Amino acid sequence: MSTQLTLQAPLDVPPAEVYPYLDRLWNHGLEGTTGAATFTLLIWEPSWLEQQMVRIGRIEGPIRGLERDDLIEAARLITADCDLPFSTAPMDPRLAWKVGQLEGQLEAQDLRGQFIPNAISVHTPRRLITLVPTLDASQSLETMVAAYCPLPDEGGAGAACGDAIVLRGGMEALRQGLPLIQPLIDEALPCWVWWNSSLDEPPEMLEALAPLPRRLVIDTSLGQPARCLDVLVERIEAGQAVNDLNWLRLRSWRESLAMVFDPPSRRDALAHVVQLDIDVEGDHPVKGLLLTAWMADRLGWHLIDSSPAEEPGGINAEFQRTDGTTVRFRQMPVPVGLPKAHPGAIVGLRLICEPADRPALCVILCSESGGCMRLESGGMAAMELVEEVVPLPEENEEMEMARLLGGGHDTTNPLLASAAPLAATILPR
Amino acid sequence: MTTLLTNPLRVGLRQERVITPQCIVIFGASGDLTHRKLVPALFELFRQRRLPSEFAVLGCARRPWSDEEFRSKMGEALANEIADHPSAWEQFSQGLFYEPVDLQQADHLVRLGQRLEGIDRLRATRGNRTFYLSVSPEFYGSGCRALAAAGLLADAERSRVVIEKPFGRDYGSAQQLNKVVQACAKESQVFRIDHYLGKETVQNILVMRFANTIFEPIWNRNYIANVQITAAETVGVEDRAGYYESSGALRDMVQNHLTQILALTAMEPPGRFDAEAIRNEKAKVLQAARLANEDEPWKCCVRGQYSSGGSRARPLSGYRQEPGVNANSTTETYVAMKLFINNWRWQGVPFYLRTGKRLPKRLSEVVLTFRQAPVHLFDAAGGAPTPNQLILRIQPDEGAEIKFEVKAPGSGMRSRPVDMGFSYDDSFGEPSDEGYVRLLADAMLGDPTLYTRSDEVEAAWRLYTPLLELIEESPWQLPVHPYEARTWGPAAADSLLGDDGLGWRRP
Ligand SMILES: NC(=O)c1ccc[n+]([C@@H]2O[C@H](COP(=O)([O-])OP(=O)(O)OC[C@H]3O[C@@H](n4cnc5c(N)ncnc54)[C@H](OP(=O)(O)O)[C@@H]3O)[C@@H](O)[C@H]2O)c1
Repeated sequence: MSTQLTLQAPLDVPPAEVYPYLDRLWNHGLEGTTGAATFTLLIWEPSWLEQQMVRIGRIEGPIRGLERDDLIEAARLITADCDLPFSTAPMDPRLAWKVGQLEGQLEAQDLRGQFIPNAISVHTPRRLITLVPTLDASQSLETMVAAYCPLPDEGGAGAACGDAIVLRGGMEALRQGLPLIQPLIDEALPCWVWWNSSLDEPPEMLEALAPLPRRLVIDTSLGQPARCLDVLVERIEAGQAVNDLNWLRLRSWRESLAMVFDPPSRRDALAHVVQLDIDVEGDHPVKGLLLTAWMADRLGWHLIDSSPAEEPGGINAEFQRTDGTTVRFRQMPVPVGLPKAHPGAIVGLRLICEPADRPALCVILCSESGGCMRLESGGMAAMELVEEVVPLPEENEEMEMARLLGGGHDTTNPLLASAAPLAATILPR
Repeated sequence: MTTLLTNPLRVGLRQERVITPQCIVIFGASGDLTHRKLVPALFELFRQRRLPSEFAVLGCARRPWSDEEFRSKMGEALANEIADHPSAWEQFSQGLFYEPVDLQQADHLVRLGQRLEGIDRLRATRGNRTFYLSVSPEFYGSGCRALAAAGLLADAERSRVVIEKPFGRDYGSAQQLNKVVQACAKESQVFRIDHYLGKETVQNILVMRFANTIFEPIWNRNYIANVQITAAETVGVEDRAGYYESSGALRDMVQNHLTQILALTAMEPPGRFDAEAIRNEKAKVLQAARLANEDEPWKCCVRGQYSSGGSRARPLSGYRQEPGVNANSTTETYVAMKLFINNWRWQGVPFYLRTGKRLPKRLSEVVLTFRQAPVHLFDAAGGAPTPNQLILRIQPDEGAEIKFEVKAPGSGMRSRPVDMGFSYDDSFGEPSDEGYVRLLADAMLGDPTLYTRSDEVEAAWRLYTPLLELIEESPWQLPVHPYEARTWGPAAADSLLGDDGLGWRRP
C-alpha cells in the first residue's frame, strides 16, 4: 500500500510550545482553510520489533511504524535464531523481546507518526497524535508538529486540513509528556485511540491515553491471553466503544460458518451441536476463544466447565445447550510452518451436530493456507460431511483501521460485547 | 417468502462496506415515500449497524414542522418496527432533524446550508451530504438548480443528489432534465433511482451470467431463440390514478424497470465490476435496441386496459370505473411489445416484453428459450420435444430454473421435460433487504452501479419514442384493447407472439 508523507516537513517544537504553535498555525498560517470536522486519531506506536530489527541490521531504516512486508519476512527468518518455535508469529511480542537480546548498534532515521497511510488519509483526520517510545529508555522528550492539507480532489471545495503531532522519547519522557495531550483533543469530535502494540505494555499508559468516551482499538492477539481478554472485558463493561482487530480478523470464519447454515434445511442442525473443535496456530488461544464464545452466545450455550487439556496449550470445556444436552469443546494449538503475522490464527474448525431423526452432520472449515488433517480424521464416516475452505482476507492493519475510521460507532459491536466476557471465562486461569 | 428460523450465525454479518459519516437530506420529508420507504430503510440500516454514529437525517418540506414533530410523525409511521426495537429507535431518532424548506425560495436554501453546517458540528458528519429529492418530478430540475445555486453541490466528492422516478416523460424531456442536472453537478454526483435495480434477483442476473462459465457461451443468437420479460401485477391502479392517468404502463413500468432487466440480460460482459464499466455496457446494449418495427410501430406493440372481472364474491371494477380515472380514459394498464437488439450477439433474436395490472398472478421473470435440437432422435411425451428454457424468477419464489428433456422411465426411448431449480428460500432462507435499503446505502456510499446514468435513461426513452409519438399523435393506430381483470391481457398480445409461431410462457 502506498503511503503518504505529511506534506510539510515536521517542525521540532519544544513541548511547551506545541499548543501555542498550533494555535498560531490555525489562526494565521492556515487562514482560509478549514480544519476538517472529522476525528482525532491517537496512536501508541512503539514498533518494538521494527526498531530492534533495524538496530541489528535485519531490515533497513527509516523506522516508519507501519506493518511492512519486509519486516514480516525478516521476522519469519529470525525466529530460528531466537530459539523460538517455527510457529511463532512475526508480531508475537516475545519475538521482539528476543531480538532485543541480539547484538547490534545500527541507527536509523525515525519517521514514525509522519507516514499517513492513504487508506487513512482519505478520511482526512483532523488531528493525528502519535506517541513513539524509543529503545533508549532515557531519551528525553521531543515533539514535532506538521500541518497537512490533502491535495483537494478535482472539484473538491476548500481543502479541509489537519495536523500531525509526534511525541518521541524514552518511556519516562513520554509519561511526563502525557499532560500535553488532553488539550490537543477536540472534545466535540470523535477520538480514536489505536493501541498498536502488545497489551502487556504499561497499563498506566493505556489508562492515560484511552479514557471514555474515546473509542479504543486494540489487538487481543498481542499480549498475555488473560490480560488481553481482561482489558477487552473491562473496557466493554465500562461502556467504551472497543474495536478489537483480532475479532475483526475473524470475519471470514464467521461468514464461512454462517454460510454453511444458510440453507434452511441445515438450520435445525445448529440446535443439535454436540462437539466443537478448533485448531489454532501457536499457543495464543484468544482468537479461537472469541470464535467459540461468539458461537456459544449465538446458539444459547451455557458454560459448565473449562480446564487446560493434557496437551500443552490445549483447552477443554463443556457447555450446556438450551435443551440441556452437553456440548464438548476442545481447542488445540498446532504447529505450522509459515505462521500468519498475528499469533493464534485459526487453522481449522470442526462442528458435529446430531439431530434426532437424521444422520449426523460434520462441518469442517479449514484455513486457505493450513490443512486441517487432524480434524478430518476419526469416526465421521456415517456423517453428512460439509467441508469448506475459509479465504484469507488480504487486508492489513491499516486497512482495518481505515474501515473503522471511515464510519465508526460509539458503542462496541454487540456481538463482540457478548462474546468477550464468555471468552474470558472459558480461558482456564 | 416463507417465514423460517433465522440463521443465528448470520446476524451482524452484513456490514461489508462502511457508510461514511454524513447527513442525508430528504426533500419531501412530509410525503408518502419518506415515511413509507425512506425512513424505514434508514432505520433498518441503523439496526444492522451499517450507519456510523456520526449520522443525521434532515427532513425538509414546506410545512413548518419542528425536529420533534418530524420525529414523532416518523415514529407513528414506524410504530410496528419501533415496538420491536424501542431502544434502537430512541437512539436513531436523536439523529432526525427537520428544516422547513421551499425548494423554490433561494433564501431557504441558504438557511439550509447554515443548518447543515450546524449539524456537521453537532453530529460530526464531516460535510458529507446526500440530498434526496423525494418531491414531485416537476421539482427535480429546479431542485438541483436551487441546491447548486446555494453552493451545496460544489464539493463533488462529498455531496450527491438522488433523483426519484420518473426521470422525464419522453426522450426530449429526459434530455432536457439531464442538461439541467448536469449543469448543477457532475454525473458522478447524480443518482437516478430505478427500484428494480435494488432487487437482489435483478442484481443476480449479473452474477449468474458473469460469475459462471456455463451460461455465457450459449448466451447469444446461436443458441437462444427468444427472450420474454414479464412483470405482472394483480393490483389495479389503487390510489395512484392521478399519477397513472398521465403515465400508463409504458412509462410506469416498461421504460424503466423492464428496460433495466432487458439491459442486464442482454449486455456484454463488462471488463471489471465497477459502476462505469457496467453502465457503459448497459448503455451500449440499449443504444443497439430497436422496436421490431420502427416504421410501423403498431405492428410490434399491443396496449390493453383492464375491464371489470373477478368473481361474483369479489367483483373487480374496470380501470375506467376506478376512483379518479376518466370514464373515457385511453391510458394503457397493459402493454406488450417486441424488440430486437442489433448487435453481433443478438441479431434476429426477438425480445418480448409485457407488463400489466390486474393480471392473474403477481410475478416478474425473464425466460430465455433455447433453439430446438437440430435433429429429433426421440419421441417426446408432448409430440415435439420442449425447447430448453432458463427462467430467472425475479419475484416471487425468487430463484432460477432450467427446463430440459430427460428419458421418461420405461422401456421406450421417449423424452419428457423436467425442471432443475435454484430457490433463494431453500439456499439462503432469509428474506433479502427491501430494495430501498440497498439503494440508499449505495447512494450514501457513493456507489452508482445500481443507479441509471444519463445516457442509459436517454437511450431507454429513445427506444420507445416511436410508440410514445404514435400514442400522442394517432392513438387510434395503437388502440387500448380491453381485457377482463385477472386474465393474461388482451388476445391481441397473444397474436404478437402467435404470428411468430410462439406463445407467452404461462407461469
Ligand atoms: N410514493 C411512492 O411509492 C413512490 C414510488 C416511486 C416513486 N415515487 C416518487 O417519489 C417522489 C415523492 O413521492 P411521494 O409519494 O412521497 O409524494 P408526496 O406524498 O406527494 O410528497 C411530496 C412532498 O414534497 C413536498 N413538497 C412539495 N412542494 C415542495 C417544495 N416546493 N419544496 C419542498 N418540498 C415540497 C411536500 O411537502 P410540503 O407540502 O410540506 O411542502 C411533500 O412532502 C415523487 O417524485 C414520486 O414520483 C414515489
